[in-house]
Amino acid sequence: MLKLKHSLAALAAVSALLAGGAVYAADHAAPKKGKSVGEEGYVWNAGGGEEDEALGLKPDLKNGREVYEVCSACHQPEGWGLPDGTFPQLAGQHYKVIIKQLADIRALNRENPTMYPFALPSQIGGPQAVADVAGYIQTLKMSPENGKGDGKDPALGKKLYADNCTRCHGAAGEGDNEKFYPRIEAQHYAYLLRQFNEIKAGKRRNANPDMVKQIHDFTDQETRAVLDYVSRLVPPKEKVAPKGWKNPDFQ
Amino acid sequence: MFKTIKRQLPVMALTAAFGAVSLAPALAADGKALYADKGCVACHGEDAKTPLQEGFPKLAGLASDYIVNQIKDIKAGARTNGQSVDSMKPIVEDLSEADAKAIADYLASLKEAPAAAAAAGAPHPGKTLFLTKTCVACHGKEGKKPLPGYPAIAGQDKAYIIAQASDIQAGKRTNGKSSAMQPVMHLVNADELALVAEYLSTVK
Repeated sequence: MLKLKHSLAALAAVSALLAGGAVYAADHAAPKKGKSVGEEGYVWNAGGGEEDEALGLKPDLKNGREVYEVCSACHQPEGWGLPDGTFPQLAGQHYKVIIKQLADIRALNRENPTMYPFALPSQIGGPQAVADVAGYIQTLKMSPENGKGDGKDPALGKKLYADNCTRCHGAAGEGDNEKFYPRIEAQHYAYLLRQFNEIKAGKRRNANPDMVKQIHDFTDQETRAVLDYVSRLVPPKEKVAPKGWKNPDFQ
Repeated sequence: MFKTIKRQLPVMALTAAFGAVSLAPALAADGKALYADKGCVACHGEDAKTPLQEGFPKLAGLASDYIVNQIKDIKAGARTNGQSVDSMKPIVEDLSEADAKAIADYLASLKEAPAAAAAAGAPHPGKTLFLTKTCVACHGKEGKKPLPGYPAIAGQDKAYIIAQASDIQAGKRTNGKSSAMQPVMHLVNADELALVAEYLSTVK
């Protein structure tokens, strides 16, 4: 019959071994991911966590500019990303959409290995920083020369868009801040294509299941046509920067 | 007799745990000896920065975690590009976790103090590319201060850099943060990559 002090010693020894094992495992273990679209129990835009925290905070634009410096390396100081679609345009994107995507990326609800380290609190900060940088991005005007599709099927693209996309993304591709539907007008074609295909295949794990269903039967030609159309939509004049504009905050 | 031992097992386990902890400094000190004894010197050089031939990486000053992860990945077959399987695997197969950590800590300790600022002159064309092609975002200014989990690449062997970047782009190297780097590799063509690698190899 083990005495209390022996039990305590055993507990201590086992704890020490487990702690060592946990540290070892943590180095190479993948952080816990949320549910993916298509999985039982998946709820689109479930909210909670850092997303809710950030949404409740008032953005500090001055700090937002500081935080944005990290982002500017790839998304460019102007927030235009790259026309080849490697990095999306962030300028013009809705406040709540940016907060949600950042929260999803850093919670591993949206898979993006390249973005992941830059979305982490250790890189940019906590929920306040997320609100700050989302607020700063609101001050940026959109690119006057985004990446576009091949322009071969404008009529088909226009019809497909009207029949499939306006319900959420709006008549002009402007999205809806309150409903977390992203603005997609004038986004780089190649980025739209990658996201569309990843949403279709369930690879973009934080996708809206309604959208996955909506685009399920799109052929390659239809995909190219509708996204070319979207890439050519022209945002309201006051939202677009003049050609050659450089962000003075980073000069 | 067994009853006695059974009662003493927890105390013995605790003592063993304490023992292991106090041995740690001695193991760390052996990192330099292990680096020589386990055959690393032959390819990576006595000073860990003069490899036997072009294309072998310099190891001096790399982060301990990064080195440990490469050893683990090569051992486990998660990294299989270049010399990983033919040359490295047989050697690291023998390394215990403690050995690998000791060697890695030793190599990390070889980090040199920052060199004096380079003489002013036209910057290497690779330097501009290193910035504009976004390498700086993960590998840090001059490739010296990478994000956690990413390697410092300042001063690395030029051919090794080119091989790793190419292997990552082609999906031949997939371990660690390779999946983060792969999607941006198309931003540089072969000529630009060579310029970036040349620039990095000259950074002190």
